Formats: sequence, C-alpha cells, structure tokens
Amino acid sequence: MLTVIVAAVSISLLYFVFPELTEAQTEKTFVTHSGAIIKTTGDIIDPVYLPQTVEFDPQKYLREFSYGHISTLDDGRTLREFTIIAEDDKIMEISPGVFYNVWTFNGTVPGPTIRATEGDLVRIHFINNGKRSHTMHFHGIHQANMDGVFESVGPGGKFTYEWDAIPVGVHPYHCHVMPLEEHIAHGLYGVYIVDPKEGRPKADEMVMVLNGFDTDFDTENNFYAANSIPFYYQHHPIQINTNELVRIYVVNMLEFDPINNFHLHGNLYYYYPTGTDTVPFTFTDMITLSQSERGIMEFEYTYPGKYLFHAHKVEFSEKGWVGIFLAKNSDDKVE
Amino acid sequence: MEVKNTSKVKLVASGIIPFAFLVIMIAYIFGPGSDLIDLGVSLPEITIEKVEFLDSEIVVTVRNTGPMAVDVVMADVNDRIHPAAIEPDKHLERFETAVVRIPFLWNVAEPYLIGITTDDGTRFEKEVEAAAPSLEPNLELAGFFAIIGTYVGIIPVMIGLLWLPFIRRISKSKYHFFLALTAGLLLFLGIDATEEALEVSQDTLADSFNGVLLVATVVLLSFLALYYAGERLVQNSSLGRMTKPVAVALMVSIGIGLHNFGEGLAIGAAIGLGQVALSTFLIVGFAIHNTTEGIAIASPLAKGKQMIRLLAGLGILAGAPAIFGAWVGGFVYSPFTAIIFLSIGAGAIFQVIVILIRWLQDEGDKKLSSTAVVSGLAIGMLVMYLTSILI
Repeated sequence: MLTVIVAAVSISLLYFVFPELTEAQTEKTFVTHSGAIIKTTGDIIDPVYLPQTVEFDPQKYLREFSYGHISTLDDGRTLREFTIIAEDDKIMEISPGVFYNVWTFNGTVPGPTIRATEGDLVRIHFINNGKRSHTMHFHGIHQANMDGVFESVGPGGKFTYEWDAIPVGVHPYHCHVMPLEEHIAHGLYGVYIVDPKEGRPKADEMVMVLNGFDTDFDTENNFYAANSIPFYYQHHPIQINTNELVRIYVVNMLEFDPINNFHLHGNLYYYYPTGTDTVPFTFTDMITLSQSERGIMEFEYTYPGKYLFHAHKVEFSEKGWVGIFLAKNSDDKVE
Repeated sequence: MEVKNTSKVKLVASGIIPFAFLVIMIAYIFGPGSDLIDLGVSLPEITIEKVEFLDSEIVVTVRNTGPMAVDVVMADVNDRIHPAAIEPDKHLERFETAVVRIPFLWNVAEPYLIGITTDDGTRFEKEVEAAAPSLEPNLELAGFFAIIGTYVGIIPVMIGLLWLPFIRRISKSKYHFFLALTAGLLLFLGIDATEEALEVSQDTLADSFNGVLLVATVVLLSFLALYYAGERLVQNSSLGRMTKPVAVALMVSIGIGLHNFGEGLAIGAAIGLGQVALSTFLIVGFAIHNTTEGIAIASPLAKGKQMIRLLAGLGILAGAPAIFGAWVGGFVYSPFTAIIFLSIGAGAIFQVIVILIRWLQDEGDKKLSSTAVVSGLAIGMLVMYLTSILI
C-alpha cells in the first residue's frame, strides 16, 4: 500500500518538476502593431493575421456585380430579373473566432450587388426563408407599393418588386421591417447600382459597403469593416494597377455610429455624391458619410506600392475598417 | 445482541435512504437524455481578475466564471483591438483561468480600459484607474514592505501598550470602562473588516463565487473555530501557567493580528496598484488608528502581573501580521485570498468581543448597563470612527 502511494506521489511530483516532458510545448510568434515579435507557448489571438473560415469572401464580393437574368421586353426595353432569398438563422465567423448570427440576402452580408442600366425594368423575386418577416426596400424612384415598407413578407412568403431603373447612381437596399435597427445591424442590406445609358469610362470597378457588427448588443459596434470582415483588406491587399482608373461604389450602412468616413493614402479622388451626377463634386482624400449616404470615388495611382485606406476615425480603423491598395506597375498593360 | 444489530442497520439505512433518493433525482435531472431543465438561455461570462503592467506588455488574468466553456478570441486596450497571446490556451473550461498578454507601450499613471472578447462576440471590460509597473518581488521591496508593516503594525501597538501603567492604577469601574472600550474598538474593527471584505467581493470577485455568502460563511467559521479553541484555552488557563487575563489578551492579540494582516493587504495592494498617495494616507491613518489596538491588548492585562517579554510578544503577535499582509498584498494579491483573510479577521474579532463581554459579566456587571460599560463601548466605537477618517 505504502509503496503504491510513494510511487504515485513521486510520479505526480515529476509532472510538476518537468512539465515539458509530458506536454509538447511549441512556441508560436506574432507581430505587434509596433513591429515587435512576441513569442508565446499559448495561443495567439489576432484578428488581423489569424486564419478564419471565410464563408463570405470580401475579395470576391469586391468586384462581383449581379446583372440578373436578362430578357428583352416587347417595347425593346431590357428586363432584369433577380431572385433574392432572405434568411436569418446563419451563424458566421465574422472575425477569427467570433461567431455571430447574420441575417442575409442570398446568404451573404452585404447581399449581392444588383446592377442595371438606366431605364431597364427591374424585377426582384423575393423569397423570405427566415423565421421573421422581411422585405426589400430599395432607395430610388418607384411606386409606393414597391417600396418594401408596408408589404411585410412573412416567413415562407414571397413578393415581386418591379420598377424602372432610375435614377442613375449608387443606392442601398435593405430590409425595412421593424425594429429596423435590428434588421439592418444583423446584415440585411446591399448595393444597387444604376449605370447611365451612355456608360461610365472604363475602370477597375469595386464595391465597398462600410459596415459594422454589434456582437454583444450594447448598441455599440464591436467591429467595423469595409465589406464585413474586419482587417480583411489589410491582410489581403486589393491589387490594382498604376495609371488605371479605379472606381469605387461606396455605401455607408453603419448602424449606431452617426458618421463614417473614407480616407485614401498617397492620393486624392474625385467624388460623386450618390453617383447621380457625371461631374465630380470634389477632389479630396476624405469624405464624410452619414447613415446610408453613398457615392462614387474615382482615382488612379501614379506610383506603385502599398497604400492604406481607412476610416480617419481611429476607433473604426483599429476595430477593422482599414485596408491596403497594392498598386502594381502597369508597364505590361496594352494601351 | 441480534436486536441491537438490526436497529443499527435500520439507523444506517434510515440515514442513507433519503440520500439515495437525492442521488436518483439528480441523476434523473442531469442524466443523459434528460431535457427537463433545458430551459432558458445560459450566457458565457468571464471575469478579468487582474491587470498587470509589465515592460511594454499588459498582462491580464481572466477566469471563466460562466456556466459553460468559452474561447477567448480577442483583446483590446481602450476599445482598440490588439494582437495578443493567451496562455496556456484560449479555451477556458468553467472556473479555468488564463493569462492574456497584450504587447502595449503603456504610459505611467494613465487610465486604461482592458477589453476581452469571447467567441460569441461578447466583450468584457475592466478599467484600471492609473497604470503603474507591477511589483517584482525582490529583497529590497520586501524590506520596504517590512518597514511599512512595522510602522503600521508593531510600533503603534507598542505605543498603545504604554498605557498599561495608567490603566493599572485606576479603580475597578474605570477598569471596566477600559475593557468595554476594548470591546467597542474591536466591534468597529470587526464591522470594518466585514465591510472591506464585502467591498472587495463586490468590486473584483465574480458573481459565481457568491461573495456575500462567502464572507458570511468564513466569518462564522472563523468565529466558531476560535470560540471553541478560546473556550478550551480559558478553561484550562487556571490549571496551566496562563492566567485568564493573559488568555484573553492573547486572543485579543490574535484577533487584532488577523485584522492587521488585512490592513497590510490593503497597503500592499494600494502600492501594488500604484496608488502611492493613497498608501501614504493609509500608512499614517493606520498608524494612529492602531495605537488604540495597544490599549485593547493592555486592558485585560491591567490587573495581573506583568512581564515585559509577554507584553512585547503580544504586541508583535498583533502587529507583525501587517508585514505579511503587505507582502501578500503587494506581490501576490488576489481578491479571493484577500476576502478570506479579511473574513477570518472579522470572525476572530467578533469572537474576542464575546469573550470580553462574558468577562465583564463575570466581573459583576451582569446587565452590562453600568455607566462604565456603556460609555466604554460608545467611546470605543467613536474613537475608532474618528481615527478612521484619517485613512
């Protein structure tokens, strides 16, 4: 009996004296904001560089436009049909290790970027697969009963929205069921672009929805981002070419914080508020956006390299709303 | 013989049967396949127990105090996200602790808000009023704390003991006054220690520890244990070398010693947290305050024979714990141990009060309503209150 106890005690003592014998210790390293390299035997918690399951790919979303199912009407006009499905039970890893219940149009936050040309007939087949009532409310000019406010679509319900694509510009769409703040904060929004008939100059076009997530429901955002995933474009810089026009359709869908802004490094941009005019309103590196304010930014880089873009409200940028443009020499480009 | 055996079996069985039913019931509720209590929403919770400021790093001790396991996934300083490390790992089972290391060039004396986010996106935060480098245990600092502990604990108690010759020369009723005064002083200290323990539990202890009940339980256990031991000590004192006054004085010293340990904790923790101005006040305040504790020890001894060595011993017993308290408070402060020590001190003090009141009754003041006793108690509380304002 005594020997058993002695043996047990000495084995457990060994464990305390030489814990590294019983537990394989691997050291990991990470880089701090100020460039210091830190070693740890534990886990790294870093929203910028940790891998995460990205069900929603901001890199893909950035340049993806949905033109709909196209057909021609009897009067020669173009009909664009879209099918949009709303869901509200999806759990998404919005930042490494952080899981949040997102409400989605076609499975993503933001929803698909719907694009039409001025004067087209747009028809949206809306299906609500959620547990709550939802609608689609598009900014723009349309009939009262196509506004997606009073025609609440219950769970399992359907609705067809139809209108002429006017006016030219970049507009948001979102769910308009009360409590509105809840439906928007959970992710039911997207971008709707109406191109002018004559088109815009050729450019590298992208969409940026400035948004945030209040993951602990204290009416303050825990994360901010351009296109949902915090720090994503910092970790995965957006590749552009020098001397090539870049056009960004930027829409501010941030809830809770009254204003947002967009600052570009090493350059200035022409800004077209709401995108309704073809003459730029200003040439700047800083615009301020209130709720659902949006516009079009156009710029091109002369010098190659990495350029930051971010909210100049540092709280937003240090909680995710920051990214990098990687401008590459476009020597090989055929003029 | 057989009859006796059956009754014994019956006794054991009757003791076990209700217990067996309890086990069955719990198994039924929690057992596999049971969805009986699958109601309500349980929320994760973590508590930030300690924030330390090291060389270009903020070290945060977190504990999972919620009903389920959580992952710690993000750290922020002043609501700005920072890359960090968590050791031993980010997964915390119930009540498990981990250390989050946030590399950060902090500035001395500035306030910081530390935030920790769990996997469900909930952010928990803790405010630090003024950042100060956390104390590294070394000999120099240990010596410094020892000196402070001496100033706060030993010297004032010794000064208080110098009132002994005065108390000796006074009449019996006046002597009763001083015994009652001692009880009054101690009553104040007991309430003070309880309040302090409750305050620490409210400020820093996670709800799941049931702070108030923890304090109540430890106070009562300490009281009962010392009461039991004290009674034996006093009963046997007539047989041994120890006289009853010495036994009482010894218990007063132990009670006050435990109390002074709590004071040392407060001073050490204040220095540790960088509240230097506060700790200077604490030191001056406690020094004046603790002089009265010397009187408390002297009073029971006044009518007996005195030995300088005995007195000095009692003084050190009462005062020296302040040094240990300062070490613990400054180097290894944890709210849980602080609450335990403060509560033990409170229980010890309440026990001494009971002994003193009994003694006064034995000495002939059955109803405890003489002018000497009432005024003694009242003045004891008042003096303590007035000197406590200094702290």
